[in-house]
Amino acid sequence: MRQFYLFLIGIIFSAATWAQGTGSIVGVLSDKEVNNEPLPFATVQIKNTSKGTTTDFDGLYEISNVEAGTYTLVFSFVGYETVEVPNVVVEADKVTTINAGLGATAAALDEVVITTTVSRESEVALLLEQKKAVSIQQSIGADELARKGVSDAAAAIAKISGVSKQSGGAGNVYVRGLGDRYLNTTYNGLTLPSNDIEKKNMDLDLFPSDIIQNVAVSKAYSTKFYGDFAASNIDVISKDYKGKFFLDIQLGSSINTRAIGQDFTRSEGTGYFGFYNRYDNNPFAVILSHPVDPVDGGTPINVNGSISGGKSFEMGEGGRLSLFATASFANDYEYRRGSAADFTTVEKQVYDDVEEFEYSTTTTAMLNAIYSLNSGHKITFNSLFLNSSSDEVGNFGIDGNGRNRDAILNTDSGFFTKNIQFNQDMIFVNQLSGLHTFDEEFELTWGVGYNKVFSNQPDRKRFALENYNLALDNDPSTNPSFYNNTNFDNQRYFQNIEDEELNSRLNLEYTVSDNFKLNFGYNGRTKERFFKNIRYGYDLIAPNTPVEDINNLDSIFNVPNLGTVYDTFVFRAIAPELGIDNRNYPGLDENRYTGNLDIHAGYINAEITTGNWLFVPGFRVESFNQSITYDVINLPPDASGYAESYENFYLPSLNVRYALNDDSNLRFSFAKTVSFPEFKEVAPFVYEDVTKRVGGNPDLLNDPSFSDVYNIDLKYEWFFGKSELLSIAGFAKEIRNPVNLVIANDATGTRRYFRTGEKANVYGVELEVRKNLVTDADENAVVSAGINGTYMHTQQDLRSSNGLFSSTLDRDDELQGASPFLINADINYSPTSFENYKPVANLIYSYFADRIDALGSGQLGNIVEKGYGTLDFVWRNEFGDNWEINASAKNLLDPDIEYVREGTSFGDYTTSIYRRGINVGLNVKYKF
Amino acid sequence: MKTNYLLTGLTAAALLFASCEADDTAEIVINNTDNSVDNSVTNNGGTNEPEEPTGEAIDLQGTMTSDLVLDSNNTYTLTGPLVMAPNTKLTIPAGMTIRAASGANVYIAISQDAVIDAQGTSTNPIVLTSAASSPAAGDWGGLILLGRAPINSTTGGSATSTSEIGGLPYGGSDVSDFSGVIRYVRVEYSGGAADGQSENNGFSFYGVGNGTTVDHIQAFEGKDDGIEFFGGTVNASYLSVVNAQDDSVDWTEGYSGTLTNVYIKQGVSHDKAIEADGFNTDIGNNSNPVYFSAPTLNNVLIVGQGNTEGTEAVRLRAGTQGEFNNVIIQGYEEGFDLDGDSGDSPTGQGVLDGLLFVDTVNFDDVTLKMKNDTGYEFDESDFIMNEGDATGTDYDTWKAGWTVE
Repeated sequence: MRQFYLFLIGIIFSAATWAQGTGSIVGVLSDKEVNNEPLPFATVQIKNTSKGTTTDFDGLYEISNVEAGTYTLVFSFVGYETVEVPNVVVEADKVTTINAGLGATAAALDEVVITTTVSRESEVALLLEQKKAVSIQQSIGADELARKGVSDAAAAIAKISGVSKQSGGAGNVYVRGLGDRYLNTTYNGLTLPSNDIEKKNMDLDLFPSDIIQNVAVSKAYSTKFYGDFAASNIDVISKDYKGKFFLDIQLGSSINTRAIGQDFTRSEGTGYFGFYNRYDNNPFAVILSHPVDPVDGGTPINVNGSISGGKSFEMGEGGRLSLFATASFANDYEYRRGSAADFTTVEKQVYDDVEEFEYSTTTTAMLNAIYSLNSGHKITFNSLFLNSSSDEVGNFGIDGNGRNRDAILNTDSGFFTKNIQFNQDMIFVNQLSGLHTFDEEFELTWGVGYNKVFSNQPDRKRFALENYNLALDNDPSTNPSFYNNTNFDNQRYFQNIEDEELNSRLNLEYTVSDNFKLNFGYNGRTKERFFKNIRYGYDLIAPNTPVEDINNLDSIFNVPNLGTVYDTFVFRAIAPELGIDNRNYPGLDENRYTGNLDIHAGYINAEITTGNWLFVPGFRVESFNQSITYDVINLPPDASGYAESYENFYLPSLNVRYALNDDSNLRFSFAKTVSFPEFKEVAPFVYEDVTKRVGGNPDLLNDPSFSDVYNIDLKYEWFFGKSELLSIAGFAKEIRNPVNLVIANDATGTRRYFRTGEKANVYGVELEVRKNLVTDADENAVVSAGINGTYMHTQQDLRSSNGLFSSTLDRDDELQGASPFLINADINYSPTSFENYKPVANLIYSYFADRIDALGSGQLGNIVEKGYGTLDFVWRNEFGDNWEINASAKNLLDPDIEYVREGTSFGDYTTSIYRRGINVGLNVKYKF
Repeated sequence: MKTNYLLTGLTAAALLFASCEADDTAEIVINNTDNSVDNSVTNNGGTNEPEEPTGEAIDLQGTMTSDLVLDSNNTYTLTGPLVMAPNTKLTIPAGMTIRAASGANVYIAISQDAVIDAQGTSTNPIVLTSAASSPAAGDWGGLILLGRAPINSTTGGSATSTSEIGGLPYGGSDVSDFSGVIRYVRVEYSGGAADGQSENNGFSFYGVGNGTTVDHIQAFEGKDDGIEFFGGTVNASYLSVVNAQDDSVDWTEGYSGTLTNVYIKQGVSHDKAIEADGFNTDIGNNSNPVYFSAPTLNNVLIVGQGNTEGTEAVRLRAGTQGEFNNVIIQGYEEGFDLDGDSGDSPTGQGVLDGLLFVDTVNFDDVTLKMKNDTGYEFDESDFIMNEGDATGTDYDTWKAGWTVE
């Protein structure tokens, strides 16, 4: 194919040059770092002449009007080795074709600052970018993602030092021990919405690597980031494509060792592709029309597939339109068997034997269109759609030995809970951005993004039974019965969240001189959230209504039985004065809230180079306005239903780089930033889970309504060889008036958010090494290894607070989510001795030490997530130009995932333990 | 897909996927054929003469920041939460019936530093009941008193906790705190759920001090507990709980008052007659020095539904202490079930230390008098001092005129 193209180009160029009486040189330059993809914007020079050019998007170049003769051609590209091709003969009226491949070297970096067009999929290029960067950041590109068998963005950033990801459903990402609320996620530099009420950041699991060009984790602040920054800004850069037409299709399948062979069930009414089509209906109509029992969930074999394609078109004079589109679907069956307990100082609810079936899907589609007017102007449109769903059926107490201390018939055994829930998150992101350069002095970049999120939990069903042990005996005359202490012990629940956000960025870079550059910028975002939920309780009319078959609850909760066997209850009746009360009628929403966030910020920073020093002082002014309007059940009647805060933040920062020599830098960074509350932390709505209750606290918007954060980083980095690195970093942070989730003083033990004390401190060191252990003749790595580790000390003072809600705390403790010790390591084997076969094998290990999952208050100890290590093996095989067959085995150690309540009078009490199983999969990819 | 998406990019694909799934949901139509609402039957007691109100019909709800005196000439309907703010007084005259509209968020709360003056008489009791045409347990909230007496869910001093219903503050250090006077008051059909796990009781006493007077109160047909004490020191006498669907009398959070003359009759749906916790196990025992609930009960008659499997009269948990004098228990599989552990819930240690015991009890149709799940070893005789001489309480002599059954 490539040869054909060149031939064609050759003819065109030949036609163009015939008239001249001179000859020309054409060719294609390929990037050895990126599978020999075309290398754009490289310089091609005829040695000792002024003739030269740069390669275009497709790596193609042409030097025309060359006098006949013999020349030496010089190919160079920043950060790459310079290649000289001697004895190039140019004849009159002929076209000489010279193709070359450039590879990276970590030396030779005396060129200008790396421009944005560097291929940021390549590890080497990213390392170079890191070396050149004006602030402390780390990136992981598509190449490394693929090599390490990383399938999504969350797993991607978890390979970066100081970063750790929680396994399983929660999936929280921690950067230097600071969790979700201290991170920001952006997509092409514009804010990315969260898909989950419980989170501020998008679940990066949802980003398949097909979409990602690279993920940059900035652990030091820079003025262009929003001021709400404490641990890091994670920027996901979407893939674009500038070369010739391509199309590839990938299909794969995997199995999980624990899921295979299980009889999966999932909610009735949800689809294989993770969609649900009853949102239009009143929930009461849904519960009357649709059964409660789960349905067959299919055979637990995971499948995934994706299709990607791209093409560039020339458009008029110097213009070019580049399109890239990708769509993918993946599903996953997970089976978890273990135990779960709610233990405070006593066993409140204990299930020794729990099984959970989870069927999840991710569907993505992305379109990226770039229109370049010429080398100085570029407009990009990006549209992203994500749908993620999780269909979970949990059976708690299947051994008949579940215990609930508030059970009525038997507190010592037989308690059973069945939870059937489906979550669907749909995210739409549309972005338009541009880059314009004027006179080489000014560069204007801008972007506008519109985000929309629908995060729904439709028709969650929960049932509680007593004497479940009677379902396990062989006596059909004895049966379990419903636990019916309140009207809502058996219930169906509906929750809808809708987020809408408009945000923008604008930056003008003014290059005053080689040593002095100024940036002026603006960021703005306006976000609104609508939240509502409603719940219907099933109140069984006869005491201890028996359950003959747990798998056939439809025989009880059907329409003919309404009002005779059971009543439905709702919290807010439509019109009790007209007799339309809360029994057996539809109701009004149980809880609603609306959150609004408006941020406008302006900033300025300078990049000043003197000798080996680079100084980047910056200053940002940000205005912040957040408000929440709520109408939720069971609050004091005089609660205002409204909270608002308006603040202006003045945020200075300084980044300094000192180049010790060509290969090593010393960096320092200081910044003042802030942290402000999220909607879910402020809205006093209480979410009731099987074993816990979590609610917000509007007091967080009272004085002080935010936390001041002070950040200091110091880093030494040494790029000692091609794709080799050693770095050591130290960091310190202080967070004033931090917010924590703790158990409130209330009669039901609800967890709420409080400003828990004066300050929290984080100190730590990070060490990272990447080294080639065996190289081939061309200095390509055959065996390479990388390891990074983080050691942290965290401390915060925890004090009681009083307000709308109150909490009892009086101690110093570690930060929630902070593992004192993290490690990520990998070893890579990629022999280069085969002609048409390129195998790459990787073994990847991660470990974190015990960390606090939830702070205890009063007499209660912390809930701690026990540390564990994971090991993945990934084996990629490229056959020729078209085929790729990849095998993987993930979670090889299959560790216990365990949570304990610490400091009980019996020592540590395990509140949850399970294993996720080993995933073994095979993928086939064909490139057309 | 109901909402308007911004119709760009990939929206069409999303719609296509969604429409693949089944809907088939029926419409609901409410045909409200009003069967001429019948308010004439408000309780089963027959003690209510048909009233002839000459005054106005007034809806009650909201937070009162000044005193509220109800006029016996008016007819009052409780339509939402009625909260007496600090330094206010609610006066309810004898013989008044307040009807509550349906809803869990319909209750009367007396905040810390507010007082209630609700003094009925044996012939003219005050009745707080459901306004529904066919009233049922759980129709509305109930009566809530909040005071400044000690609770062991906080570290003490001025620290407060917030109530299960309405999120109002309670607790403190004033043992003799005064929340008013309640006499001859009956609460019916209360116990509506305030959220998925919280239910109103008939009477809830949150950190109420012993300066408060409580006697002759009845909780009738409640969905949750009849009378519950969250800490506090208040003493109460002549308590009647009939057909509470959860526990009839419940205490927790370090309650230490005295209950004298208690009558409990359980209906078909019920949990325990008495369920007692030493502290609130949701949030822990945060008192310093640590103490547990330790009330005294004198003259108690507990009538169950008969000795069937799983029925239990008194459940003592989470380190509670207490003294039971002159108790009759009729018709349960188990009399006293003691529950705890050797850690933070040392119920058994209380028995060994003589802080939890029964002095004089009669068991009538009870299989197991005492069950020890405390993790401590002791004999029945360590817990039950005397048996056979109890007289309970002579309910007939004090129920007349103001109670229903």
